[in-house]
Amino acid sequence: MDDIEAELGISRSVGNEDFSDSSEDERVARKIRPPILLHSSTAQARAKESGFHESSRLCLKAIRDAMLHHHWQEAAQYLSAYSQTLEDTTVNKQSLACEIIWRLGTEILQHHPNSRLEDFNALYEQMKNSGVKNYAKICLEHSFHLLLNGHIYDAKRQLSVAASWRYGKQSVPQSLDLKLIHAYCGFLDYVIWHMKKSSVSEAEDNSSNREMHSYFRQASVTLQEIIAQPGVWDPFVLSYVDMLEFYNDQEEALKVLQNYAYNKDYPSNPNAHVYLYQFLKRHEAPPAKLISILKVLHHLVPSHELMQEYCYLLVNSVVPGHLEESLPVVFNLLDYPSWKNDLDTWNCLLTVMTVFKRKGLQHLIANEWKQRKDFWLTMHYRAYHGRKDSELNRELLLVKAKVAKLLGEHGIYYNKFSTEVWGPYNVEDKKRKIV
Amino acid sequence: MDEHLTEGYSEPCKQCGAVSWALSDGCQFFCRNCHNVIEKTQDVVDVSSFILNNKISSISSSSRKKTRREWMVCEGFQFILKLQAEALVGLGVCPQFKTDVLWDFWKRYLQITRQAYTRSPVNSFTNTVVSSEPESAFLSEASDQTEPMSASGHSTDGRSSVCSGSLDAACYLSAKERKSRQLMNMPRTLALCHLALLWLREAITLADLLRLVSRRLIPYINVYEEFPEEMQFYGRDAIIFRVETIPSYRKVHGEALQMAEILQLPAFPPVTSDCLLHPALLSLRYLMEVNLPDELHSLVCRVIEKSAMGKESFLTFNPSKPKSTFLFYDLQAAALIIVTMKLLFKLDDHVACLYVLAGSKMFSLKAWYMTVHPALEHARQREELFEARRPWKSKKVLIPAMKHKAVVLKRRRVVEQLQSTFHTLTGSVPEQQSSSPSSFQFLWGQEEDSDGPSLHHKHLNCMLEKRGKEKWLVNQAYWHTDLKRCHKKDCRDHYSELKHSLPRMYVWLLGLFSFLLRVSEAQVHKEVVEVERRFFGTPAYSLIILNSKKKKKGLKIYPAFVSLLRALEMSGC
Repeated sequence: MDDIEAELGISRSVGNEDFSDSSEDERVARKIRPPILLHSSTAQARAKESGFHESSRLCLKAIRDAMLHHHWQEAAQYLSAYSQTLEDTTVNKQSLACEIIWRLGTEILQHHPNSRLEDFNALYEQMKNSGVKNYAKICLEHSFHLLLNGHIYDAKRQLSVAASWRYGKQSVPQSLDLKLIHAYCGFLDYVIWHMKKSSVSEAEDNSSNREMHSYFRQASVTLQEIIAQPGVWDPFVLSYVDMLEFYNDQEEALKVLQNYAYNKDYPSNPNAHVYLYQFLKRHEAPPAKLISILKVLHHLVPSHELMQEYCYLLVNSVVPGHLEESLPVVFNLLDYPSWKNDLDTWNCLLTVMTVFKRKGLQHLIANEWKQRKDFWLTMHYRAYHGRKDSELNRELLLVKAKVAKLLGEHGIYYNKFSTEVWGPYNVEDKKRKIV
Repeated sequence: MDEHLTEGYSEPCKQCGAVSWALSDGCQFFCRNCHNVIEKTQDVVDVSSFILNNKISSISSSSRKKTRREWMVCEGFQFILKLQAEALVGLGVCPQFKTDVLWDFWKRYLQITRQAYTRSPVNSFTNTVVSSEPESAFLSEASDQTEPMSASGHSTDGRSSVCSGSLDAACYLSAKERKSRQLMNMPRTLALCHLALLWLREAITLADLLRLVSRRLIPYINVYEEFPEEMQFYGRDAIIFRVETIPSYRKVHGEALQMAEILQLPAFPPVTSDCLLHPALLSLRYLMEVNLPDELHSLVCRVIEKSAMGKESFLTFNPSKPKSTFLFYDLQAAALIIVTMKLLFKLDDHVACLYVLAGSKMFSLKAWYMTVHPALEHARQREELFEARRPWKSKKVLIPAMKHKAVVLKRRRVVEQLQSTFHTLTGSVPEQQSSSPSSFQFLWGQEEDSDGPSLHHKHLNCMLEKRGKEKWLVNQAYWHTDLKRCHKKDCRDHYSELKHSLPRMYVWLLGLFSFLLRVSEAQVHKEVVEVERRFFGTPAYSLIILNSKKKKKGLKIYPAFVSLLRALEMSGC
């Protein structure tokens, strides 16, 4: 109940203890508007509304209907009629109009079959210069659009113009936008550097080399600044590390990644650990180090895809005690529905369990299994799964059946499917045969 | 004054050697000393090129001749009236409308409000005392103005004020002054037109007039675009002449009543039965409009007779008489039709729609509803989309105050560029279909673009039965809402309270006529109640039996409705 109230944005009244006159449900019911009607309040006619405002309201309704039905031609026509609201003398309506036209206009242009890049450019330029509130946001969107259409240099130019823009006192959201603009400036420098790098790889052309280096310098200065501030900067970190690796500056790269992953000021970000792990793996770090990183990752995200690698690392590790840790890791992994049908994970489990059996650690297996038995049987070993696996994925069927037998579950219905498909092949049988 | 346009060019003139350039009409540079024209022309600023980061900071005007003329606001209104009159004459009104009637009314108005045609005009500048006291009194009234009132508001040498193009726009801004001096405003232009049309007993009713305004066949929105160049238009003028709403029926009617009082008009020419405003003929027109059978017309005429609404004395407007009512002719005709339908069909949602035979020649209410309702819905939607696309802002930019000039001009540029972007996108410029003026909004018949099959020829024999030599109505009951007159002064109507209890068919019928006449359903209902009052003859409801030679209508209040009417009476005033 608390969550619903929080979601609907209702503040709890302080004096809630007084239940004498009305029940709490009534009070809450009075405050909650039915969510279906929340959006339609703007479509009602207001009393004493001027004809101009009535026309704008009806026009907006027509645009909305056209867009929802994907009639882009009609929507464009109505939007051009709607643009007269930019001349509204009512101040708050006029500033709203700027934002509405920007957002709707870009949406329509994206879907309209005849739209060209010039139309986008024109729209962005117009809306940037009308009204101050949205300047930074529109600049960012404009440069993203150019970037996605391959005009890297134009995007860069847009952002550098935007970065030098100042208007009066900077509000908090504006400063955030400007920070983003700054960050993407650096990112675009990296993209250009990357382009130059791939084109320059063979030729020993000095001037283009120098250009490339200058872009690297620009990019690294900007990105360093940005990454130094707490936040989630995944693409920027990756690009910076990429550049540093190219110039063989491993320590700096390592320092940056470690700071990104371990600094308490930064929000907890599993990707940071992933990037650090991948970097160290590329540079052949000792397994102990890799294990320590993945341990942190395991705490953060037990269902991560790197957990399999972690598991194998633990199994092959020489450090005592690591082996025992590997079993819970892989069991945890299979607790999550995303790995239910993954053959590699089940194979990993089978391998680990056979190793444990060899080393005489069955009691650990039994421990883990005791915790999970009831819900694993429902999640992995129902008749439905048997049918599905026998139709779609026969190897999986076999591996799961083997796992089940190793766990000691012989009587489950699932095994019948595997005997049907594969014949009475059995790990135990094999052993008995040998013996 | 042309420095900002010719700056940068500092070559000495070849003839006289001076460096003093200006721009001519054709945008060519000429020397101010010797008037030597050179080949250099002003660079044309092309606003249609979309270069990134293009910031246009000034617009050059081609005409350099600015013959300014001092003008008063009433001159502006005169110009507007002239345009409206010409439009009406173009639509078929007789030419005397413009030359005689409207012009006479206007002259009379100017004379009575002492703005012209009088020995002591109010706005004469020799009479105004430029002292600080009355001005400060005026300033304190107009406290919503942020612009400082410069002393040139009432300048003694007659120069136009800095805050408006016209000379006396400042007088129009205080509500008290507007009322005391009975100054003109935009809805009053329509009210004057309506009075003049009524004087000539033309067929264009007030509802038609407003519909023509909405279709832009009569200039009203942005009519100041057509002011001549000499009348400089900016500042406070904008507030007087700018229109952001088409006035409602009720408003124009009220203004017309006021204007008739101000003008002290005598009795209007009588509305006789051959005149198109007479309810008999007007109701025929509306019957055709809503696809009802022509046979209904004779019944409507009977109702008119019974309620004594066809008399000249009742229909003619006489402002000089103190208690004369200014009628809503079109609403009245609609109400008469509704009352007739209630008499014929009862319209209470309970009577089953009998007599339905496909292809028969009999009129059936249900078939009529099934034909008209889809057409009505389509028309409503079309009207809504037309309203959504209506352009309110004009190309001629209105600058309310000088400090906003740059912003306003920039916004206009942005709007125009946006519109051209989207027009190139859609491929064609969708023109607002200039509809050919027609008195009918629906087309019934077999043509391709008709709204449905025509039911005009259907017979009403099923609703009348023969008893002996006379024909009686089959329907023997009638219902109505409370007919007692409300005594509260500002009581408008009780429709919103009654709406949920009224039969749906009746409400739909109200909706149909309210769409046709562009009025609210409450107004139509009020007029229906008026007709019923006259028809039953007494202010309070009661049992009445009426006799007539040809048809006997036996009326009784249906028992089930007695409690309803009692309830209505209790909830009424």
